[in-house]
Amino acid sequence: MEERKRYSGKVDIGLKSPKYLVELAKVDKHFGSNHVLKGVSLRVKPGEVCSIIGPSGAGKSTLLRCVNLLESPDSGNMVVAGQYVDLARPLDKRSLLQLRRNVGMVFQSFNLFPHLSVLENISLPQRRVLGRSAEDAKAKSLELLERVGLADKAESFPSKISGGQQQRVAIARALALEPKAMLFDEPTSALDPELAQEVLGVMKEVAASGMTMLVVTHEMNFARNVGNHLVVMENGSIIEEGDPEQIMTEPKLERTKQFLSAVINH
Amino acid sequence: MSGFLAVLAAVPITLLVTIGAFAVGIVLALGLTFMRRSKQPWLRFPAQAFVDLARGIPPIVWLLFLYFGLGMGVIKLSPLQAGVLGLGVVSAGYLAEIFRGGLLAVHKGQYEAGEALGLSAWTRYSKIIAPQAFKAMLPALATYFIGLVKDSSIASVIGVKEMVFTANQYARRSDDGIYTFFLAAAIYIAVSIPFAVVARRMETKLQESAK
Ligand SMILES: Nc1ncnc2c1ncn2[C@@H]1O[C@H](COP(=O)(O)OP(=O)(O)O)[C@@H](O)[C@H]1O
Ligand SMILES: [Mg+2]
Repeated sequence: MEERKRYSGKVDIGLKSPKYLVELAKVDKHFGSNHVLKGVSLRVKPGEVCSIIGPSGAGKSTLLRCVNLLESPDSGNMVVAGQYVDLARPLDKRSLLQLRRNVGMVFQSFNLFPHLSVLENISLPQRRVLGRSAEDAKAKSLELLERVGLADKAESFPSKISGGQQQRVAIARALALEPKAMLFDEPTSALDPELAQEVLGVMKEVAASGMTMLVVTHEMNFARNVGNHLVVMENGSIIEEGDPEQIMTEPKLERTKQFLSAVINH
Repeated sequence: MSGFLAVLAAVPITLLVTIGAFAVGIVLALGLTFMRRSKQPWLRFPAQAFVDLARGIPPIVWLLFLYFGLGMGVIKLSPLQAGVLGLGVVSAGYLAEIFRGGLLAVHKGQYEAGEALGLSAWTRYSKIIAPQAFKAMLPALATYFIGLVKDSSIASVIGVKEMVFTANQYARRSDDGIYTFFLAAAIYIAVSIPFAVVARRMETKLQESAK
């Protein structure tokens, strides 16, 4: 495989890194004839919490999944933590693993490994991806379980703990690999409000620690109080973006206003 | 009584054919599964064709073909070799289908979580997917294996000296006649039961460990 050039800032492809930790330029994606992302560009600064909102089917999940290449876009460019990716070409294995090493992801359905204990869920990736020893991995796992308030659940299996607890373990599992950015795809949508609050609390703490976060969510309070960048998507495009407070109080577009009132009043 | 002892003495051959064919089947089916999941059509199509042929042609035809057909060419197989290989090929077709079902039973999110964590393909399959798929397909694997204990009797057609071959030979030479086959039937059941018990134990254990 050819050696990928690292982003030098000299080639003008419309990307402005390294001021940004995640930068997408003109990302296009079709599913068959369905044009799901229509030239989406997005810049997220280091330490920024970027919330992505919009109606169902807008392409929010697809956009997020393009960042760690769970979906392969048709075209566009991307820089993630200094790694430049030409999205029009397939990425070689080594670069793909490097990209994923820099980006953690948390799913709506938690996706813990059901045949492994909570501790093993967090330790296995550390050992396999970072090459940590069993001891070091365990120490790190226990430290993170402490941080998400689940130190007493280390030996439990995922099916024995609540959804909110599973999601906190999933966050710990991703954090254990010390990513530079974290992606959250509706992390609380499968949870009762009370359990969702536990998870949002952990996310708030992660944000406070300086983590760069991209969060697809319907939690307007989180987007407003924790987020410092809001993106509104509809129909495969970003229709409005900027300061969350500003957009929520004075949206520029009528469509944004409609969407916000629908979410807030529901 | 000597009929009973003769058939009993053939049990190791029956088990050898069964276990040999199952082992050949597992190895081939792993390769077929890998090929069928490939993005390359030139790997996928031959694998699918192999599975269809393995299952679509009667086992007895496979055995006759491998024993007499290949025998006409350069490779000369012994009855036992042809029996193990032939039943192994047939098993590969069925086992590949069982593997496919097992992999389908693993939630898509499990693959995605493994990928998002940056685990290598080897780690994803060996540590995440295979253990869960194995649990899902254990009942089907056990059923197939126990079926194969009986179906290994097809190898008698090409002269493998397993239980049915022996019973048949003895029935012709003695006055016991059909009685020898009743003895053989009883021995098949006695041989199958321990396997069924072990399979059920393993299932229970797996259910408990993950739930
Ligand atoms: N794997 C897929 N195959 C085909 N179509 C898909 C797939 N994933 C998403 N889509 C389609 O892409 C569009 C955007 O989906 P998605 O990104 O999930 O939206 P959102 O997360 O905003 O609800 C929808 O029309 C959806 O049906
Ligand atoms: Mg979605």
